[in-house]
Amino acid sequence: MSNLVLFQLRKSTVALSAISKLNKTHIEIQFNFKYLVGQLSQRLQSTSSQVVVRENTKREQKRVVPPNYRHIYPEFLPDPNMEFRNSVREKLERTDMINRRSRIEIPEFYVGSILAVTSSDEHAVGKTTKFVGICIKREFCGLRANFTLRNVVDNLGVEIKYEMYDPRLQRVQVLRLEKRLDSELLYLRDADPEFSTFPFDMDAEFLNEGAPVPVNPLKVNLRPPPWYARWERLQPKGAIIPELRGRRKEKSEKWLEKFSEPWEKYDLMKQYRKTIPEEEQDSIYSDIYSELHQMEIASKKLKRKKAFVKPKKTG
Amino acid sequence: MFRMQKTVTALFKHERLEVTRNTADEARGYAERLISEAIRYGDKHNATMELADFWLLEKQLVHKLFKVLVPRFENYNISYTRCLPLTPTYPCTKTDQFPKSLLELRGNPYPPVMPKDPHNGSLLHNILLEEARKEMRQTQYLETAKSIGKEDKSAWVVNEKAEDSGSSSEDERKKD
Repeated sequence: MSNLVLFQLRKSTVALSAISKLNKTHIEIQFNFKYLVGQLSQRLQSTSSQVVVRENTKREQKRVVPPNYRHIYPEFLPDPNMEFRNSVREKLERTDMINRRSRIEIPEFYVGSILAVTSSDEHAVGKTTKFVGICIKREFCGLRANFTLRNVVDNLGVEIKYEMYDPRLQRVQVLRLEKRLDSELLYLRDADPEFSTFPFDMDAEFLNEGAPVPVNPLKVNLRPPPWYARWERLQPKGAIIPELRGRRKEKSEKWLEKFSEPWEKYDLMKQYRKTIPEEEQDSIYSDIYSELHQMEIASKKLKRKKAFVKPKKTG
Repeated sequence: MFRMQKTVTALFKHERLEVTRNTADEARGYAERLISEAIRYGDKHNATMELADFWLLEKQLVHKLFKVLVPRFENYNISYTRCLPLTPTYPCTKTDQFPKSLLELRGNPYPPVMPKDPHNGSLLHNILLEEARKEMRQTQYLETAKSIGKEDKSAWVVNEKAEDSGSSSEDERKKD
């Protein structure tokens, strides 16, 4: 014990004796000095510090879930808006989603990938319809997750919104897996039709296992305005905005001056409020990791079986 | 956004600020996110350097962030900042209508604002007070022990009188 503390303790005996004199009693307090010192030192050692310092310097925690799961299965993450969060509903939805995925293979795809969707249709000849198109949008999460496919059929632009966990979907096949420079390709509506046409009998393009998803740096030519929306305001990276003239130009410049946020990429809290924090992501995916991993293994085996063509005897 | 930049810069510079409550609440988020990004990506990451360059208006604080604050907060499992409400300072002017709060980084060199648990039994003044209380109780016990033998017999008489009065009142009621 430090000298200062011992001095203070000795002072305390004096103080106590003073108190006893004031009360006019002759009782001496059994002040066990050594016991008190022992108690004090014990208590001081046991007080826990606020900040817990980990043994490892960096967070070297073993990650069960691969880090790219939030890109492959983004609909498993709930809406970050607190008004829409419900832990019970989320858990139930996750189990339902996994059950559906065990029946049909819903592949990894991104906005800009070309998909072929076969769905059951009561009015069709063979009770099924197939639609091929480029994915221009992905919305919502959980069982309500959907994606929109766009194609130009007989000089008419067609967009169909499919729900990912719709039981009427029979097959979802990715013909070309790639990403684009933007998260939404709605400007294809005002682009040249050649950028939105894809043949229905398109063959699936092969991508090496484990290779990163390629980013297509294509810049789409937009037709001259008027448009479906003021694309110049969004400043899309994957589209070439033609030269605006006259009043349209003035208005767009005014709007950009007033409303454009060049600091948006530095706005940390805006990003934070739009995403689920990492720890929560880990807990969500670790719940369902084993099932998803098993499904992945099974689908890989199937693909290898299909790719392998048994050699036929000739002659 | 410029207001947030100023607040975050000032927080990193002085490590303790008195600002309006809402400003403190929002700036806290930005400061902690900035520190988290610096811890995760470190010194050489271009995007993080740009971020620090945007947020910290004084460029020496970028060095402070990576050289001082990152090693300080690397192993924390709690928040890096502390936000405490402040009471208004009298005389109340117009600006005092907006309640202020104290925003500080943990581990700052100033003396702590909130005292560590004053009721902690290990503290010396509490040990002394406890002993003094024990002594008081002992004296009280002794006094009561002394007074047990010397009971006032007149007290019993008072009780009997009370019983009589009670019974008489009952009789009165029966009559009614």
